[in-house]
Amino acid sequence: MTRIALLLLVLLLFFSFPVAAEEEFSLEEDPFAEPEAKKIADPLEPVNRGIFWVNDKLYIYLLKPVAKGLRVVPEPARISASNFFSNLGTPARAANNLLQLKFANTAGELGRFLVNSTFGLAGLFDPATKWGLEKKEEDLGQTLGHYGIGQGFYLVLPVLGSTSLRDGVGRIGDHFVDPLPPALKVEELVALRALDGENELSLDKDTYEGIRENELDPYLFVRDAYTQMRAGKVRK
Amino acid sequence: MRLTGMIQYRLFLWLGVFLLAAGAASAMPGPLEQARTTVDAVITILKDSALEKAVRREKLSSTIRARFDFTEMSQRILALNWKNASEAQRDRFVQIFSDLLERNYIGRIESYTDEKIDFLKERVQGNRAAVDTVIVTKSAEIPISYRMVQQGSEWMVYDVVIESVSFVNNYRNSYGEILKKEGFDGLLTRMTEKLAQLEQGGDSSQP
Repeated sequence: MTRIALLLLVLLLFFSFPVAAEEEFSLEEDPFAEPEAKKIADPLEPVNRGIFWVNDKLYIYLLKPVAKGLRVVPEPARISASNFFSNLGTPARAANNLLQLKFANTAGELGRFLVNSTFGLAGLFDPATKWGLEKKEEDLGQTLGHYGIGQGFYLVLPVLGSTSLRDGVGRIGDHFVDPLPPALKVEELVALRALDGENELSLDKDTYEGIRENELDPYLFVRDAYTQMRAGKVRK
Repeated sequence: MRLTGMIQYRLFLWLGVFLLAAGAASAMPGPLEQARTTVDAVITILKDSALEKAVRREKLSSTIRARFDFTEMSQRILALNWKNASEAQRDRFVQIFSDLLERNYIGRIESYTDEKIDFLKERVQGNRAAVDTVIVTKSAEIPISYRMVQQGSEWMVYDVVIESVSFVNNYRNSYGEILKKEGFDGLLTRMTEKLAQLEQGGDSSQP
């Protein structure tokens, strides 16, 4: 695990030099234009497209049907499950807020953890948000981005989907502050992660179906949406 | 008595005219109010369960189209390619693109009924504005910002930014790749085929 992380880190540093911007054509100045995220490099596009295709089939024929099955569980219970998993993500969020020197957010995350683990019945409910302590999503990928490291290049992981070299490294890093892995066996961990993912999917309103049905090239659409979304999170 | 009554009546009339005039001068609602009016109208249509599906779609379509500037949107998506395209190509793009969007998004809007939409704030600079809103669902809060341009008294939407993913940027990049490889006419052909396929497949061609 560590060796892979190191290798990826070296690759990341190598690939994160900015790519020259293309010729820009500007219309009337738009003061509110979203800063346009740099286009992400995609040297592995053929491989990525292959994995994207497999994930698509996996989603349609396995993951989504299971998630639809989960919808027999009343929505409030599924939202509670979502809260529970999200509460367990506190250490990673707190650590990354701290690494970015966002001290108030770090304190906020710890406060949320205390409140939601107690009054929120082990994280099943989220009273902290109602009291004005909102979740501050940060992960290691965002921390690296915060310090100027670019995405590197685009990667599609089997099952997990879109990521990039930087965010992939980040995922591995965040894994080390996750409270679950040391406490569980590998197969238990996988099962819990699967449950978490399926649960989230059951709460989603067919976002991916919309894309795959309507877009000319779903791969390009998802790749760009991912890049923009991550760039937005780094800016925050 | 009658005289004072007349005077009062006249006074009242004048006051009315004055108020009306003042009202007209300041009646131009800002971008946030205009966006809210459209969103409220959409929600009212969605909640009207008596409407037939086709009628509802039609109503949604005209309500939404009245608030969107698809030409501005298309220009921004195509950027350089817009400049180089012929008049006919431009018109064709705007037309098919708006049809595609309509098919894509009206279906999605129909699945949102119980969510609350908060209008947070508007930022105006000259003839451009950003209206920030948030959709509050039971499990999440999704920030959505509308980018609008002023045309006469109307503020028209030309970009929608959902969780920092700009619609225009998203299409500029994904269509841009296709344009690079297949050219403008290639893109138009693919869009036309997609539209035909969607229209054939009916409204909810679930896999």
